[in-house]
Amino acid sequence: MSQEPIPLSVIGGFLGAGKTTLLNRLLQGTSGVRYAVIVNDFGDLAIDGDLAAEHGGDTLTFANGCLCCTLGDSLLTTLNDLTRRDAPPDHIVVEASGVADPRQIADMAVLHPGLRRDLSIVLVDAETILEQARDERLKETVERQAAAADLLVLNKCDLVARDRRAKVRDWAARQAPEAPLIETEHARLPLELLFARDEVKPAGPGRDTAKGHDHGALFRSRSVPMVRPLDLAALRAGLTGLPPSVLRAKGFVSLAGKPENLHLVQLVGRRLRIHAWDAGGRAPPRRELVFVGTPDMPSGEWLERALYPPVVGTGLDNSGE
Amino acid sequence: MSGITVFRAKKILTMNPRAPVASHVAVRDGIILGAGALEDLSGWGAYDLDEGFADKVLMPGMIEGHSHSMEGSVWQDHYVGYYARRGPDGVERPALRSIEEVVAYLQRAEAEMGDSEAAIIAWGFDPIYFTGPRMTAADLDKVSTSRPVVVVHASFHIINVNSVVLSRANIDADTDVMGIMKGGDGAPNGELQGMPARFLALGAIGRDHFEEMGKKESLWRFARSAQLAGVTTATDLANALPEKTLANLKEVTGDPGYPLRIVPAFLGLSCPAAEGVAKMRDLSAQSTDKLRLGLVKLVADGSIQGFTARLKEPGYFNGSPNGLWYIDPGQIAGTLSAYHEAGFQVHIHTNGDQATETVLDAIEEVLTRTPNPDARFTLQHCQMAHEAHFARMARLGVCANLFANHLYYWGDQHYEQTMGPERAERMNAANTAARHGVPYAIHSDAPITPLAPLFTAWCAVNRKTVSGRVLGAAERISVEDALRAVTLGAAYTLKLDSELGSIETGKRADFTVLGEDPLAAGAEGLKDVPVWGTVLGGRAFPCADIPKE
Ligand SMILES: [Zn+2]
Repeated sequence: MSQEPIPLSVIGGFLGAGKTTLLNRLLQGTSGVRYAVIVNDFGDLAIDGDLAAEHGGDTLTFANGCLCCTLGDSLLTTLNDLTRRDAPPDHIVVEASGVADPRQIADMAVLHPGLRRDLSIVLVDAETILEQARDERLKETVERQAAAADLLVLNKCDLVARDRRAKVRDWAARQAPEAPLIETEHARLPLELLFARDEVKPAGPGRDTAKGHDHGALFRSRSVPMVRPLDLAALRAGLTGLPPSVLRAKGFVSLAGKPENLHLVQLVGRRLRIHAWDAGGRAPPRRELVFVGTPDMPSGEWLERALYPPVVGTGLDNSGE
Repeated sequence: MSGITVFRAKKILTMNPRAPVASHVAVRDGIILGAGALEDLSGWGAYDLDEGFADKVLMPGMIEGHSHSMEGSVWQDHYVGYYARRGPDGVERPALRSIEEVVAYLQRAEAEMGDSEAAIIAWGFDPIYFTGPRMTAADLDKVSTSRPVVVVHASFHIINVNSVVLSRANIDADTDVMGIMKGGDGAPNGELQGMPARFLALGAIGRDHFEEMGKKESLWRFARSAQLAGVTTATDLANALPEKTLANLKEVTGDPGYPLRIVPAFLGLSCPAAEGVAKMRDLSAQSTDKLRLGLVKLVADGSIQGFTARLKEPGYFNGSPNGLWYIDPGQIAGTLSAYHEAGFQVHIHTNGDQATETVLDAIEEVLTRTPNPDARFTLQHCQMAHEAHFARMARLGVCANLFANHLYYWGDQHYEQTMGPERAERMNAANTAARHGVPYAIHSDAPITPLAPLFTAWCAVNRKTVSGRVLGAAERISVEDALRAVTLGAAYTLKLDSELGSIETGKRADFTVLGEDPLAAGAEGLKDVPVWGTVLGGRAFPCADIPKE
């Protein structure tokens, strides 16, 4: 690949769950990143195309509905066009229709040589989901969607009484036991954590950062130094075995055997990519991993321990230097 | 004034209830002046008497109410189905009854190819009829390890590929994507079930199957396939109708030698409804007598044999989970009404009974708000509709186009796996539709099953499955009714019944030319009645003139 694959995020959820609100927030609230937003749901609310253009991105549509052959082709054509542009977008966000399985869209990003799969975020309308889950016509559709989430967002929580919210949480946890669950209203989410290009930002060793007071309540970010070389198998096992509260991780590590070569690590949901990284003359980046997760994400020390398992006979303890 | 031709035939089945049989039909400028005895027609003026059909039987040009132009593009590839099938060049491809036979067939095809880069693509493979292990990449590596080999299943939803394709598509043991089947060793075994894997594998070998469909060669093959079956009008259900496809459709149908009228339906979900309506206005203004633009198609659910149709209780017979909506049920009425209010007719694919019922709810809502007694919403497939549904369809003026070929090809699977006996026996209930006065047609969904309305009629008349079981004797219809369904019945669902579908004065001179009388052939022999060719707008198109590929 001549260029880095473009990250692709999917926003799923049934009609009325708040997908469009979230997208409009994204287009409004971020700058410096060119988003291409692909819309597969022609609901009542519209994506503000002007807003996207103002921010250097575009909105495209592809056929509504489920991704049967015809519609899938429409999406693939759009993705091919985007990745082959002279100035491709920095990030692609696909709004899946209320009946599409977000997994199929995310899978296209896994297989497409020009794309990298990023988070699949599924919104749930906390006010109506329990009725939808009982509706003979909609039951399986909302279940499938929730099951496809890397992150499940219970939206419109302000409209729902506490005991009902607990029932919604139970339902959600049954559908997607692996996915972290967060509650919000008006699709208010810290967008830069969910969509922005997750560049490793300089941070002190092991320091916990709450991203702004507005977001701090929903997300945590932790930088963990990875100074010692890691064993590849242990790193894989450690990262894919992290608790669901860890949403993503990104950063650079060196691996045992070839400590001089840096590797780029990208964990999105439970999906992991580790590949050799060529600095290409640039100053070598800091060896650390930045973790982003929900407030119950484990501490930096805990995360470090999870990736440096005890090695018998080396004399090193497992808590870092 | 141009000349009048009077065709004499051994027998003319007119579908005109006032005069069901004639011996002569007079044609001027592609329009029928009249059918009857020669003396009834001579008053129109001087004529040439064409005796070419003196030993043939004419009937109204048959209309395939649900086919796809993909019927044209698939034949550029190798057919490897379980049943022998005639190609658009008239040559029958052999039945391949095992994986070994498929591999051997493709090995022979490979040996004839010089260019070592080109891919081998085959279609129509149907493992539902095989016992034993499924096809793997190792099987297809026996065909070639240097060029891509792809075998597309009859459902078009699953493909098998060789290792060349797997490596070009970067699919390996670590690829974590739904639908990439893996063997006991954890490595991908070459079967790709999911849409993403299928499309990206085809993309990796440079095949864009939607582009293929709209190519001129494909449209010609589509027409020849139709001509061989005696079809003069066929639908392409549906097509997003991009610029290039539309230009090609116009060009081919504009050729007087092109033997088919095409009715493409615009894929109503390919853009927001407001855009779609604008596109339809633009398209319908470009209609010609051989390219009819103005129909919209929506798809509500999946397929029964793929377990993706939306069912009501008690669900699938074998306990499979309920299927998929292809459109949000809450958005059906809104989408329908956008096209309906703009004056466009909409056909809706519904397979499962829940989809049928949900769409009927939406139609009722739309028609209550914006009444139109001649809207002719048509349910395509409508395979699980029962008594109450047909009664309701009759009240709403909704038509049904039933998938009669399913009864033969998958009837046994429906009986044993998908529907169970009772529901299987009332599938594609043509007789119930007729009893309720629901206007109906019957179809092939080509290339899913062969484009051949006489066979489709045979299926509706006999309701025999592959194994020979009669699936629901009470839903059988008469030969006369079946022939009406593939002519006037289909014309009605397309709002073309005032110009097509029967041989009577004022209609277009489209005929199916048969070697025998289908009424005399009877229920058993209907599918074997030889097709000599067609007449389209007064011009004869003999099958014998079709070039071999
Ligand atoms: Zn079809």
